[in-house]
Amino acid sequence: MKERFTKNSSIKNEKVDTKKRKLIKATIGAFISGTLFGCDKKEILGKLKDPKNIAKSPITVNILRPPGAVDEREFAQKCIRCGRCGEVCPYNCIKYFDIKEAGVFTFTPYINVLEKPCYLCMKCVEVCPSGALVPCEKEDVRMGIAVLDRVICLTWNMYETGILCKTCFNVCPFSGKALKLDLHMRPYIDENYCTGCGICAYACPADTHPRSKGKKAIYIMPVRIYKKKKKEKKI
Amino acid sequence: MKKPFYKRITFYRYLSLTLFFLLIVINPILIHKYGITFIQGWYQSFAFGNLFIVSPLEGLESILTSRSIYLTTIIGMLLPIIIALLLGRVFCSWACPINFLSMLTDKILGIFSQKLKYNRNLITLPRYILWFALITELILTLIIGYPLYVWWSPQALVGREIMLYVFYKTLTIELIIVFVVLFMNLLTRRFFCRYLCPLGALLALLGKDRKLVIKYNPNLCVNCKLCDSRCPMNIKPSQGESMSIYCWNCFECKDVCPKGALEIKWGDIKEFKKENEKLVLVPKENII
Repeated sequence: MKERFTKNSSIKNEKVDTKKRKLIKATIGAFISGTLFGCDKKEILGKLKDPKNIAKSPITVNILRPPGAVDEREFAQKCIRCGRCGEVCPYNCIKYFDIKEAGVFTFTPYINVLEKPCYLCMKCVEVCPSGALVPCEKEDVRMGIAVLDRVICLTWNMYETGILCKTCFNVCPFSGKALKLDLHMRPYIDENYCTGCGICAYACPADTHPRSKGKKAIYIMPVRIYKKKKKEKKI
Repeated sequence: MKKPFYKRITFYRYLSLTLFFLLIVINPILIHKYGITFIQGWYQSFAFGNLFIVSPLEGLESILTSRSIYLTTIIGMLLPIIIALLLGRVFCSWACPINFLSMLTDKILGIFSQKLKYNRNLITLPRYILWFALITELILTLIIGYPLYVWWSPQALVGREIMLYVFYKTLTIELIIVFVVLFMNLLTRRFFCRYLCPLGALLALLGKDRKLVIKYNPNLCVNCKLCDSRCPMNIKPSQGESMSIYCWNCFECKDVCPKGALEIKWGDIKEFKKENEKLVLVPKENII
């Protein structure tokens, strides 16, 4: 009486549909050959020779992770790309990497400081479910560290430009702590307190001055790059 | 004889699929235009107020590749895992946006012919391919060292593309994956869900001993095979396979059964199987 549960399986296999199999084989073959011949071999081989290239982080100067982010080496592994940080950001400053520019970092969040800086509302940090953004206080955020280019800064070249600009000082959320003015009203940055929010870089008006050729006097460096350059004494 | 629509469970399933899909369509618009962030995200991580879920496979991959345990992720994974343990693969059949889009393609095909709507099996593979999909997915992520499913999961891509379009007015190339999945659905009904979905495989694995079961009663069955033709997963409820690991509890077979041989039960799936084995079956010739 158990027949009804076990029958059919053996009978059906006798009729092998060769047409279907050919079709499947043909499609799979076409797919594989298409991918093999369609892509740039040199590029892929080069990437395989140097595995670091595959996972080269797109985080550079002025392109930063949202506040509270873990170390860049862990970020892409931890982030589950749920996009809630970008949804919750009231200023819409969080954006997402595209596959062409980021590879395995696709759809991880970033803040382009020059387009829209972070205003440290800390909403994205509370919302992150994966531990890529770890909750912390405003003061402890280290998205990067601001670097001031004294050659371009209008106030540092006061005698040449005739401008006494304090925009970065006025705009900094921790002004007086992270961004200070010296006796000649020239701004300088205290790396121990700078959160790297990028408001100063966003606001810096130096790029509109003909002398600086469209360059801003302040840019934000991700912490890892900053430390590296500090060791090499390039800053 | 067809039941009225409000008595069919399939109607409520379609309603639920539509509502869940509308949720991820309307929600980004609500957030972007009106700033209401009460509900966030899509089915990778979904937040309703302070309650949030994390998709189990994505969470698992994140834990595996980062080699560290973050409690928030695990707490987010708890609710989907408990649902999968008790109800089986209901996320797939009742909420998944890919299933909603596949349902739409089914409906469109149904305009042309009834046979195309339910019975199209151009490519059929052995069902255990589903487990290989899960295993290869996990091994590939471990080889590469970065979570993969977080990027290509079609059910998340639907939500992501909608969000990207609403927020930044852009779409990404990954949208092709969704179209490929839907194209495969044209050839074989729910091809992706049947054979290739790693998340579905994980949920099926979790729901092996689920409590919500479609119980098959061989004594009432008249072997009309209506249920077999209706099943989107191509399993055979008429042979008791509705109690197998591959069933995703969509209850389409239950609706179509004219004799009530399939019924929804809450209980131990193993006992139901044992009961069926003990039953002395009445030979079908005698009924006729």
